[in-house]
Amino acid sequence: MNPVFGEKELRRIAQEALRLADGDSAEAVIVARTGALTRFANAAIHQNVSSLEATLRVRVVRGTRVATQATDRLDADGIRAVAQSASELARIVPENPQFAGLPVPRPIAPAPTAFVEATATASPLDRARAAKLVCDPARAKQLRAAGFVSTNVQEVAVASSLGTWAYSPETTSEVQIAAIGDAGSAFAHRVSLDFTALDVRGAAEEAIAKALRAQGPRDLPAGEHEVILEPYAVRDIVGFLGQQLTGLAIEEGRSFVAGRLGQKVTGPVTLVDDPFDGAGLARPFDFEGQPSDSLALIEEGIARAVVYDSGTAHRTGNRNTGHALFPNPFTPASAMHLRLEAGTKTREELIRGVKRGVLVTRFWYTRWVHQLRTIVTGMTRDGTFAIEDGEIAYPVKNFRFTQSYHDALAGLRGVGKDLTLLLPAEAFGIQASSQRVPVLHLASFNFTGVTAH
Amino acid sequence: MRFVRRITEDSLVKNGRIESVDRGETFGFGVRAIASGGWGFAASQITTAQEIDRIAALAVEIAKASALTKIADPVLSEVPPAVAQYTTPVEVDAFALPFEDRIGLLVSAEEALRRQPGLRTTRARYAIQREEKLFLSTEGADIAQTLSECGGGIGAEATGDGELQIRTYPDGMRFQNSGGWECLSGWDLVGNAPRIAQEAVALLRAKSCPQDVRTSVILAGNQLSLQCHESCGHPIELDRVLGSEAAMAGTSFLTTDRLGSFRYGSEQINIKIDSTSRRGLGTFGYDDEGVPASEGWAVKDGIFVGYLMNRETAAALGTRSNGTMRADGWSRVPIIRMTNVSVMPGRAGTLEDLIADTDDGILMDTNRSWSIDDRRLNFQFGTEIAWEIKKGKRGDMIRNPTYTGITPEFWGSCDAVCSESEWVMWGTPNCGKGQPGQAAHTGHGAAPARFRNVKIGVVK
Repeated sequence: MNPVFGEKELRRIAQEALRLADGDSAEAVIVARTGALTRFANAAIHQNVSSLEATLRVRVVRGTRVATQATDRLDADGIRAVAQSASELARIVPENPQFAGLPVPRPIAPAPTAFVEATATASPLDRARAAKLVCDPARAKQLRAAGFVSTNVQEVAVASSLGTWAYSPETTSEVQIAAIGDAGSAFAHRVSLDFTALDVRGAAEEAIAKALRAQGPRDLPAGEHEVILEPYAVRDIVGFLGQQLTGLAIEEGRSFVAGRLGQKVTGPVTLVDDPFDGAGLARPFDFEGQPSDSLALIEEGIARAVVYDSGTAHRTGNRNTGHALFPNPFTPASAMHLRLEAGTKTREELIRGVKRGVLVTRFWYTRWVHQLRTIVTGMTRDGTFAIEDGEIAYPVKNFRFTQSYHDALAGLRGVGKDLTLLLPAEAFGIQASSQRVPVLHLASFNFTGVTAH
Repeated sequence: MRFVRRITEDSLVKNGRIESVDRGETFGFGVRAIASGGWGFAASQITTAQEIDRIAALAVEIAKASALTKIADPVLSEVPPAVAQYTTPVEVDAFALPFEDRIGLLVSAEEALRRQPGLRTTRARYAIQREEKLFLSTEGADIAQTLSECGGGIGAEATGDGELQIRTYPDGMRFQNSGGWECLSGWDLVGNAPRIAQEAVALLRAKSCPQDVRTSVILAGNQLSLQCHESCGHPIELDRVLGSEAAMAGTSFLTTDRLGSFRYGSEQINIKIDSTSRRGLGTFGYDDEGVPASEGWAVKDGIFVGYLMNRETAAALGTRSNGTMRADGWSRVPIIRMTNVSVMPGRAGTLEDLIADTDDGILMDTNRSWSIDDRRLNFQFGTEIAWEIKKGKRGDMIRNPTYTGITPEFWGSCDAVCSESEWVMWGTPNCGKGQPGQAAHTGHGAAPARFRNVKIGVVK
């Protein structure tokens, strides 16, 4: 079966757009997807959606004049209109003398497939049955389940008049659960490329068991606390630090590794961007059709590399690492396959190593306070517990934190041996990236306030 | 059933170069259906008759699958099916202007920023949008709307001594209104560029925000608008209150037992829900359930009195929808969103009057950081810039200002809101909610206001 439209059709659409584009060179990027998401709350499905979406984005270059136009009309008229409009715009936009030209195609190494047919063929009833696997046991324990089950099929294709052709079919499935009692809640999350392997029951059991322990949170004063961070919280740290590990962040003077490549910037963690990681959403090329390098960004705490797209690489005199995002004005490049390397201890062993501390299930509403110092504020949510003498002792009310993320990693005390696959929020309607992260044990985390629940 | 066509143009001039000129057009349709007591929604960007049949059948199939976990059938409040049209009032059609005029404004404004030595990054941006929507229902509604928006701004960044300081104008590069080019051209980006650039550089040497102290805080209108968005607009969404967003956006402290009696803020606080406001990003003729635009109160004289509702949640309260169902384009299901939720002006005069009336405090301007808990109680905000207020006068500039509080305590500490002459309809074109994620465009009118005994300075 075709994932959405199939490689042959996408190639035809892209080639037609390039043929109609009137410029020195042109590029066509297509993202096509069928996203289906079954959402439940109060232990029943209340929103249940499916959409077929596809975007063709044409970039036309005339000398150093560059313009892009996007459409989701992929019929002959739509392709012609987008190509002509981008071409006309490219005649009148002011010149950009720093534009490097479209990147010349380079060989793309094969990566593990990220497409599983069983996910692409999942039906509304399949998703509803999965939701029921969550709602029914939660109700049996007098908990209200909320969350979603989703299946997504996505195709990414990039072509250029210079000869670029890159194509990737991908699937993801996901279950997110908040199990909610009258006085406390807990969260669990699972991701799989294969819907038939999605551990819905395991996620439900995790959320329900944790929610039952989370009832009746006590007060614990804010301040510096030793912490165990579940993977759902760790992904936030990895995501924010990933934003700063780009050539653009260095160029703009907002990266904590600016001028510090080769120096120690965190505790002994290793953070890689691995587009070939078959356990994640592998994709060996970027949204300019360039091969994506596998990079150690931070190695045992030493800053080693940042990622580039063609434009930033050219402007700053660096090598293009093949990390261009879907074209947008603000974030040209990003690490899209982050993996915080695993350690040696189980989650339980890490908890046993804490005399007095806090276990955090996930963070919520995290925002930059000071990018250069990687200071972020946010809340804990859905399962925050006191740890005493190596045991989870009792639930506590949620904290606000205001913490430098890379400073927090300087206090690394342990890394879990298991990695959890998670998907960051979609950007520009695209599932551009995935992450794999472990549990972390950190010496100190700065909690700056407490809320009422 | 909704058909939506949206055209956009977004241009950015940065560091003396044309960073991007990006146009887009999206056209598709979505069908929302109730079948067997369940909800279903399906959407497609293929608009052939065959695809419309397929999508309608899929919406019904999904709805029937939803019924697998059904507890009760949906009940919708009544709304007369409308046959109507609505168009945003526009003075200057941004799309009809020569492109050279649009990009020319950015080039001039960004150039004016760069005349200031010591800047690392300079930006100027505009975003324009036109959306045509057709809403049809089996109840007989047939509503066509054309909604126009325009916005943008300028920004300057300076770095040095371990600091990154940012100034933007008029509001974080994301200012946006309903209307035409007049929404942006009236802000005089070129004329304000030298001041913004100078402030960005000056912030590098400014005093740090005092740590962990309590003082009087005056929030500029643009910051108060976001404060209102986060700590009033979201908690009055009735779907949150009833648990529909519990796993993601969260719930609300404004539970239904508090409606009509809970003291949300001081008597100075009057917050309106108004989808008819001039220039508001939440202004339209009808929402995405075919309910007409309306105005009412969320908070009156400090008391919480009104929710944002759709037909289903309104029925749960035994009332009628006030028309707040909005979808992000054709591909997303409508959900309850803010329309224009505005802090109405008070009687404190101008900002300078309010400063003169403040013996000791701090003035904070233009949001830089925002975070609030999942019940919308514990918040922390940071702004780009602040100034000391000493004996009724604006004093030294302060960098990295932050403040934190608990929502009803904070609004309860407000003792002055500036008058109508200071009131501006601000906009938030990036409000995230829902799964799959949706970005709503919401309006928030606000004037500067003063809050007493607020905790400031949480960044070491």
